[in-house]
Amino acid sequence: MHLNKYKTKENHDFMDDAVYKKISLLRKLPFYPVMQSRAKFLLMDNMMLSLGSAFEVASRCVPEIKREIAGWNEGRRFAMQILPKGPAITLAKQGDRVRIVGKGVQASDVTFMFKNLDAAVPVFVGLQSTHEAMAQSKIMIQGDNAYAQEFNRAMSLVLANLFPVFAYKHLFKAKPKLGVKGLINKSKVYLLLVPQSVVNTIKHFK
Amino acid sequence: MLPKYFQFFCPIKILSGSKAVSNIPFEMGILGCKRAMVVTDKGVVNAGLIEIIKAAFADSDREIGMIFDETPPDSSNRIVNKLAKLFEKEQCDCFIAVGGGSAIDTAKGANIVVSEKSDDLLKLQGAENIKANLKPMIAVPTTAGTGSEVTKAAVIYNEEANCKMSFISDKLYPCIAVLDPSMTATMPPRITAMTGMDALTHAAEAYTCLQKNPISDIFAKGAIELIHKYLVRATENGKDEEAHLGMANAALIAGVAFSNSMTGVCHSLAHACGGVCHVPHGIGNAIFLPWVLEYNSEKIPECVAELSCVLGGEADKTEARQQAMITASLVRDLLTRLSKVSGIPMRLRDAGITEDKLPAIAKLTINDGALVYNPREVTYDDALSILKKAF
Repeated sequence: MHLNKYKTKENHDFMDDAVYKKISLLRKLPFYPVMQSRAKFLLMDNMMLSLGSAFEVASRCVPEIKREIAGWNEGRRFAMQILPKGPAITLAKQGDRVRIVGKGVQASDVTFMFKNLDAAVPVFVGLQSTHEAMAQSKIMIQGDNAYAQEFNRAMSLVLANLFPVFAYKHLFKAKPKLGVKGLINKSKVYLLLVPQSVVNTIKHFK
Repeated sequence: MLPKYFQFFCPIKILSGSKAVSNIPFEMGILGCKRAMVVTDKGVVNAGLIEIIKAAFADSDREIGMIFDETPPDSSNRIVNKLAKLFEKEQCDCFIAVGGGSAIDTAKGANIVVSEKSDDLLKLQGAENIKANLKPMIAVPTTAGTGSEVTKAAVIYNEEANCKMSFISDKLYPCIAVLDPSMTATMPPRITAMTGMDALTHAAEAYTCLQKNPISDIFAKGAIELIHKYLVRATENGKDEEAHLGMANAALIAGVAFSNSMTGVCHSLAHACGGVCHVPHGIGNAIFLPWVLEYNSEKIPECVAELSCVLGGEADKTEARQQAMITASLVRDLLTRLSKVSGIPMRLRDAGITEDKLPAIAKLTINDGALVYNPREVTYDDALSILKKAF
């Protein structure tokens, strides 16, 4: 973390040292590891719910995603889980949409398991793509491989409609090109995402 | 460029050289095993190679419980489930897989079912899905291609869904890999060529895919050097023991490489062709490799360019993209030479695929797990385009 507005050539090292010294002091506190772990857990829990909500909204508004999931069997379930005791969420195809089934792994056809919270955080906050995470052995897949790839493709479309353009270089092998219609659909996703997230938070609060 | 994080694991004991097979009973003793289930296919039995295995047990206190020779060219879930039941019935305590990739993958699949105490392999598919410790397994390859004797993957044909399934786990590594030149000497030229190209594809994709790392790169380049030196020789002359042992080692080394850095779209296409049209895996890889190298060189020209030296090309100061195209043409040259000697096809139409099958193959390709690791994005249209070029 850098306080850029104070950064000059002269005080660059000084500011970095100051920040790192503060972080070192924090790490020495007896309850810091627990706090840090808890903070990551809460962040991931919320990000999973947000991503699930984004999937729900995008599967309603974005024609490409509707086409992608049209071939899926009714009731197909996907779960994302962080090991060993991290948050988890299950989504399912219901009708012509994807909906959140609930928190936890609930009879999923495919489960994407992150090895730990540190493996999951960069992926869920848009700093690392799933294919990079897989290449770094951070994710394991349980279940049908073909279903997993289909879900991955649909999720890529959701991410293209969720994250801003400057995040694309971290998320995709090839930057998606949305076009005018794509941008309009993306605006719809943004408009509907917050109310949907609130509804899902209340519905699935645990 | 060093990856931010990587993993490398190769726990297999390797026995390579003349009369390596005679050490199997001794190694079984070290593993604490007494009664082996030998998994093979009818081709291996007809070639008399199982007699070499039996002879190794002649003066040993270890025994062969049963010889299962029903492995099909593409290992299937039905055969795996049957083998697992027989393993329990014969009270065996280890597997000896003698054959090509199918026999070794069949043994791995049955090992999963037996050790997980399941009744159906389909319930256990995916990556890192295996919890139980597997029974000891000794792999004796009779082809020089798949590298299955040193990989953590098993690819098995799902007869119900008409597609190939992957099983990946660190627990799937065999305990021992035995490379004996007498086991590959009877390979016909066509099999030598196609399995050799399979090994080349493993090494090339291991060097160019997303999970590549400095250690697997060394293995990949080493494998390609050996293949460049020995493949044509081994194909032309079945009695060239040095060439056959060289190729067996190349396939093993390539297997170590790709087991730790995975493969990409070439394997996805080959899997799909195998699933839809039952094209042998090595032939699929051989046909697609030059096209895939060209396709991926748009994204990673430097990686593809670096392979031209080990393929016999000259280190050049030309631009990376141009050097990468030279790599693809060197692979084509190798394929042409092999085709003249052994008759392996160079195009999909020569492999018996009709044009109407291409969309189905493309659809299966984009659902293959290996595609994740390809450096360049591959859509349905991209896959179809590669297929049409290779047709």
